[in-house]
Amino acid sequence: MAKKSVTFKVNGKEVSVDVAPGEMLVDVLREKLGLTGTKVGCREGECGVCSIILNGKLIASCLVPVMKADHSTILTIEGLEQNGEMHLIQKKFIEDGAIQCGFCTPAMVLAGKALLDENPHPTREEIQLAISGILCRCTGYQKIIKAIDSASQAGEMR
Amino acid sequence: MQAQEIVAYQKDMEWEEYLVPRSLDEALEMLERYRGAARVIAGGTDIVPATRKGGTGIKALVDITRIPGLNMIRLDGETVKIGSLVTHTEVALSGLIRKRGMALAEGASRLGSPQIRNIATVAGNILNAQPGADTLIPLLALDGSVTIRGRQGERSIPLAELFTGVGRTTIDSTKEIVTEISFPGLGKGEASAAMRLAKRKTLVLPILTVAVVIGVDPGAKTFAKARIAVGPVATTPFRCKAAEEILVGSPVGEEVIRKAAADAAKAANPRTSLIRGTSEYRKAMVAVLVERGIATALKRLEESNG
Repeated sequence: MAKKSVTFKVNGKEVSVDVAPGEMLVDVLREKLGLTGTKVGCREGECGVCSIILNGKLIASCLVPVMKADHSTILTIEGLEQNGEMHLIQKKFIEDGAIQCGFCTPAMVLAGKALLDENPHPTREEIQLAISGILCRCTGYQKIIKAIDSASQAGEMR
Repeated sequence: MQAQEIVAYQKDMEWEEYLVPRSLDEALEMLERYRGAARVIAGGTDIVPATRKGGTGIKALVDITRIPGLNMIRLDGETVKIGSLVTHTEVALSGLIRKRGMALAEGASRLGSPQIRNIATVAGNILNAQPGADTLIPLLALDGSVTIRGRQGERSIPLAELFTGVGRTTIDSTKEIVTEISFPGLGKGEASAAMRLAKRKTLVLPILTVAVVIGVDPGAKTFAKARIAVGPVATTPFRCKAAEEILVGSPVGEEVIRKAAADAAKAANPRTSLIRGTSEYRKAMVAVLVERGIATALKRLEESNG
């Protein structure tokens, strides 16, 4: 299988990487770029733990052939921290106790970010909808919803 | 005892080439070159899970998402046109579609999850040809059509004639590409609604989907138009024509709506399914959803007039 080169901007950095055409974005992020904050669950788009922000939109990276992401802009959980300081949503997840085993947490935080970027003051229903594509088997979701709401209340997102 | 390798899933996909054409002609040439071993990919949310296990013989994917001109929603005369790269999220939020065919926006807002809707195209949902597909049932009620390009040129097919079975259409996806979906935009005195019954709101296939389009004669207060689509209750998306005939010409009222809903339930033939429930239950629910759909459309009509 002939190797191809893809180029994208990941967490603010331009990256070129050699891939096989059959590789999926989630695997390239995790194994070739070492960004293991993005998790692999079902590989069918059902569990949502592989969620990342691709060109401003929350998507399931297990369903995206890496070649599709050529020339795109990608944000993974590793890109939220700025100058050693966590993003407000991350802080609120910790403060509100919205993390248990942590497996869904990167996806949940990014879902919160994608929501608040578009809609800085969502209703509870809008928060529920925003995280509805990610399964969490520990928390019962309530504290995750609360953490996103707290971040929204605390204001300035970017 | 020998250690056994347990393979939970196959990581890489089997295609050897991933092609990114810049024009429709280039894409069609690529498909032709592979003689049936290439498939079109847009959002990829159906083809990736469907081919994850391998053994499909697919050698190349042709990614059409960089072809200009296919990513638009517009009104052409009274026809609403939706390019084949438009996603479910875009349809769900489109002011034009919400105004001229609300049932489609509703259907699009219920498919999969936000992550899926952000990338999955409505054209893909149609081509996947599941008889209860979330945008398909509304588009059938809206009298939609698809436009297809092949090497021989362009053709347009009404959705009502597109499906030949579960997952099957008259489109040859190894040779042809859908460019556009269109439907006559609803106007004054017309409204639509889509209903979905499912175990939960996200990432489940529907037990039933129903879409209703109605038109009401403002003077006589009779149904001037009625189209009812239901799925999955047959091998292809289903129109309840007899129920529609009961409505058309009749004065708007609860009794005739109940009669039409009961007739729709009689005509629909849902199977007993471990996932979707018993045939009896689903038949009963067809009547409930048709009744609710008509009531919702009537309410919308009232609000738009008020």
